[in-house]
Amino acid sequence: MHEVTLIQGILLFIMAVICGIDMWLEGTYIFRPIIVATLTGLILGDLKTGIIAGGLAELAFAGLTSVGGTQPPNSVLAGVMTAAIAITTGKDPKIALALALPFSLLMQYVILFFYSSFSFFMRKLDKYAENADTKGFARINWTTMAIVGLAYGLMVFLCAYAAQTPMRHIVEAMPTWLINGLSVAGGILPAIGFAMLLRIMMKVELIPYFIFGFVFVCFIPFGNILPVAALGTAFALFEFFKQKNAVQTQPVANVKDEEDYSDGI
Amino acid sequence: MESKKTLTKKDINKLALRSVFLQSSFSYERMQAGGWTYAMLPALKKIHKNDKKALSESMQSNMEFINTNPWVSGFLMGLVVSLEENKEDRNLIKSLKAGLFGPIAGLGDAIFWFTVLPIVAGISASFAKSGSILGPLFFFICYSLVFASRFLWTNLGYKVGTNAIETLQKSSQLISKSAAILGVTVLGGLIPSYVNLNVVKTFTISAGQKFSIQHDFLDHIFPNILPLAYTLLIFYLLKKKKMNPVLLIFLTIVLAIVGSFFGILG
Repeated sequence: MHEVTLIQGILLFIMAVICGIDMWLEGTYIFRPIIVATLTGLILGDLKTGIIAGGLAELAFAGLTSVGGTQPPNSVLAGVMTAAIAITTGKDPKIALALALPFSLLMQYVILFFYSSFSFFMRKLDKYAENADTKGFARINWTTMAIVGLAYGLMVFLCAYAAQTPMRHIVEAMPTWLINGLSVAGGILPAIGFAMLLRIMMKVELIPYFIFGFVFVCFIPFGNILPVAALGTAFALFEFFKQKNAVQTQPVANVKDEEDYSDGI
Repeated sequence: MESKKTLTKKDINKLALRSVFLQSSFSYERMQAGGWTYAMLPALKKIHKNDKKALSESMQSNMEFINTNPWVSGFLMGLVVSLEENKEDRNLIKSLKAGLFGPIAGLGDAIFWFTVLPIVAGISASFAKSGSILGPLFFFICYSLVFASRFLWTNLGYKVGTNAIETLQKSSQLISKSAAILGVTVLGGLIPSYVNLNVVKTFTISAGQKFSIQHDFLDHIFPNILPLAYTLLIFYLLKKKKMNPVLLIFLTIVLAIVGSFFGILG
């Protein structure tokens, strides 16, 4: 059990601004749950719980990428709230992970709103481009980043600091079967992340590698997945060299016409 | 062609650093166009110096729709900047950019989203499980290296020029495919490591004789068969039924709660 103080709330605000802008830019990846939850743990004075919560949330969000066209639940809010709920209520991080989900969905909608409404700024940028106004360009790009950063900061402050008491009451009032159910859910959720990755990566000819990875880890369990990554690298290199040789033996078409580029390649 | 180099190595490294602005004014309308142009502004300004008309033309042309992978975007920026520097035909630059941002996005996504992220996340999470600081630290170090690779990509893009495009396209497919092999192997291994799905229901056959579905039945068929089956089920629902991932997350939570309520899952 732990109370979030105002100072901790402000520190979370600052962290969320920085990590939020990083997420917006996909810059250094300090916005991933494993980093955000660790920082949250550090701020709230329980680093260990923060790290455990971060590892758990990271896996559940591993496959939830923005690549598939849909904007996934927000990983900054998932990281902050999983760690904050686990620390403030003293419950298992698995339970906290499921409880953090509504918050990360809420932030997802805020970001979607920005994606749509920022189209408005494009008109201005077009005008600046016409006049070669580089200062105007800088202004707009920093304005959009500032809006996003503040939105993250406020959201995290409100969710982690202002809403902590009602949150604790809800968690305390939950019956055992519900708590247990959320913990079970926390254990299954990575499956969705992995299935999302499979959806994008899986091709029929890759099935053998998938089976190999699964069976390998089932029968040779190890503390981390480095051994299977090493084997995967071996397979990848094998295929790479095989195909590379095949390409080299073929005559390479040497097209240098400019027209070919304008066809869209 | 005669090339009059106005950009120095320092300018290109600055461009690599500024490639982080790619998504700074992201919107659905033209995706990364605003940030893309903003990132290249200092380089463009230096190239076109006092020629305001040329700078404006270049800015307007760069404000066209673009959506590529942030980490390797520097490659395309380096390439475009080198073409601008050589005062290549505007249409050539435009069509090259339009034709390349897609393949580059595909390559970058295959390597960074679908190969590096699952592996790095999987390894970091295995350290983090016990609360070790190694987990987040390992993650941070790996992604600092990924960030540093921006300098590599940007310099590469600036150097290759147009003649290397063809080889690039050929090898990009090859690299994507190899990366997918690595990614899928690791994914297969991540499922038994991290998905926890156990049936706790037991039946009393006779006095003192209990039958556990998990230990006496499922584990005898194949270890981790439920996590695999559930992952594949979700994969099927996502791919074939086009179900919304967020809906599937909620259905999973409901399933877990209902299963726990009846004492089946635990």
